[in-house]
Amino acid sequence: MRTKVVLHDPAPVVPMRCTVTAAAGVIEARDVVKVFVARSERRRRRAFLALHDVNLAIQQGRFVSFVGPSGCGKSTLLNMVAGLIRPTEGAVHYKGRAVDGINTDVGYITQDDNLLPWRTLLENVEVALEFRRVGPEERRDRAHRYIGRVGLDGFEHHYPHELSGGMRKRVALIRTLIYEPDVILMDEPFGPLDAQTRVILQDELLRLWEGTGKTIVFVTHDLVEAIALSDEIVLFSRAPGTIKHVYPVPLPRPRDVFRIHADPQFPAFYERLWRDLKEEISTVDLEGAVHGNR
Amino acid sequence: MATGDVVLSRRGPSRPAGRQLLEQVERQEARRARRERRTTLLGRLAFAAVFFLGWELSSGRIVDQFFVSKPSAIAASLWAMATKEMLFYHLQFTIIEATVGYLIGAVAGLIVGFALARVEVVYRIVEPFVVGFYGIPRIALAPLFILWFGIGITSKIAVAAVMVFFIVFINTIAGVRSAPPQLLQVARVMGASEWDLVRKVIFPAATPFIIAALQITVPQAMIGAIVGEFISSNRGVGHLISRAAGWLDTPGLFAGIFTLLVVVLVMNLGINSLGAHLMRWNPKHGSMRDAP
Repeated sequence: MRTKVVLHDPAPVVPMRCTVTAAAGVIEARDVVKVFVARSERRRRRAFLALHDVNLAIQQGRFVSFVGPSGCGKSTLLNMVAGLIRPTEGAVHYKGRAVDGINTDVGYITQDDNLLPWRTLLENVEVALEFRRVGPEERRDRAHRYIGRVGLDGFEHHYPHELSGGMRKRVALIRTLIYEPDVILMDEPFGPLDAQTRVILQDELLRLWEGTGKTIVFVTHDLVEAIALSDEIVLFSRAPGTIKHVYPVPLPRPRDVFRIHADPQFPAFYERLWRDLKEEISTVDLEGAVHGNR
Repeated sequence: MATGDVVLSRRGPSRPAGRQLLEQVERQEARRARRERRTTLLGRLAFAAVFFLGWELSSGRIVDQFFVSKPSAIAASLWAMATKEMLFYHLQFTIIEATVGYLIGAVAGLIVGFALARVEVVYRIVEPFVVGFYGIPRIALAPLFILWFGIGITSKIAVAAVMVFFIVFINTIAGVRSAPPQLLQVARVMGASEWDLVRKVIFPAATPFIIAALQITVPQAMIGAIVGEFISSNRGVGHLISRAAGWLDTPGLFAGIFTLLVVVLVMNLGINSLGAHLMRWNPKHGSMRDAP
């Protein structure tokens, strides 16, 4: 079992909790270990270590991305913040309290848009407010405001199957933003989109987020996406996942995601990230990565 | 969305020329849809005419009229039944049996199915028993119910209810279990209570299954009522049919069958339009089409 963190960077070794400054983080993982049990053929159960000794603190207002090879446990850690998965050992703290049960304080956006197919766009945007017992008038008001912000006016009464993938993703985004969670967890949200729509949505996300002071934790496989969006990038090792390194992203804000490659800091930073990530990816995965792995 | 409703039209304003084109395509599409509906209707009428005419003409010439009767004789027999044999009096019992049985079976199937599917442990325990009961040919229970409930209306309602219950029950379980787990998780994080989940996520997710079951079981309820009447009764269309069979009255037999056919068709129409309304969000019930 690899517990030792190996750094391949000549730069001064940053301690694991490098994002922890004086203040405690809004999200903190303390010595988190996760063991999953897989039921294989012949009813044999095999336990395997998914996360090992994960320590991390995320500051309020930061945009933080998790990157790492497939199956390294980055989504697992995200799900722990949402309270959907419990750590086997250790704890995930949210605003100073250990997460115990569903964390309805956060927003949670998945790879699939998970809209309710039997509800129109407007009704989908309103659903979280319904769950939160917000009155119908205020619901409608807020929904229209957010629908306008992502340019979906005129489509309020369409059902999800009548919308494009990019539109559905916008709906998933604003139905989460509408209840104004302090922390938004995003699990490869733009994964299934085509390259163009992806960048457009990255841009929209940044514009919706900038200046709100909200924290975003963003899981992705795409290093360019991580660089374009984040303040900090957390690199996971291959399973059992540990945090290998945390990189502050040197690119200034506001950022132009469409021309992120043109930023003078981009090439060297990308190179460094990729070099470190590559060591964690087996050759099989590397081939997968070329074909846009999930 | 109704067929022929072009989604393009709601895309909001565009360039004037483009707008004109869109309107033109919309008109074309409406015309095409009208034509399609007319062709279908005429085709159906033609099919029915050929069928009945063929029957009328071949009966007595190609096939012995004793076995197949003929449409004109059946119509006469229907008229006689309606005027002299109190067809509507009998029909009323059959409809009540089928309808009440249907409602009881459907509601019970829904409630028990929901309750079972939501509690994982209970579901795991009873699943093989459910499958076992499901395997019983339910018609075989009819004599038992007559023994239990007598030859009156109750035993027929029971048979109809059992016919409906299992199908609705099994489908409800399948429907509830079809709600995507991730959707439930997302809803929970958004703040949904257990009751919210049932009402706003699980139940709508299960509707395609439930609607399908409600549609399939309409004729099943009728089968239950009729079989009950066959076995033992002194009222109902089933009674009329089995009496006509006893008298070797083929036209009377067919007249009874046609009456049932009409009743089931009407019931189906009702349940189908309810289904279409509840399922209006489903991609199969309306989609974009390619403009010609």
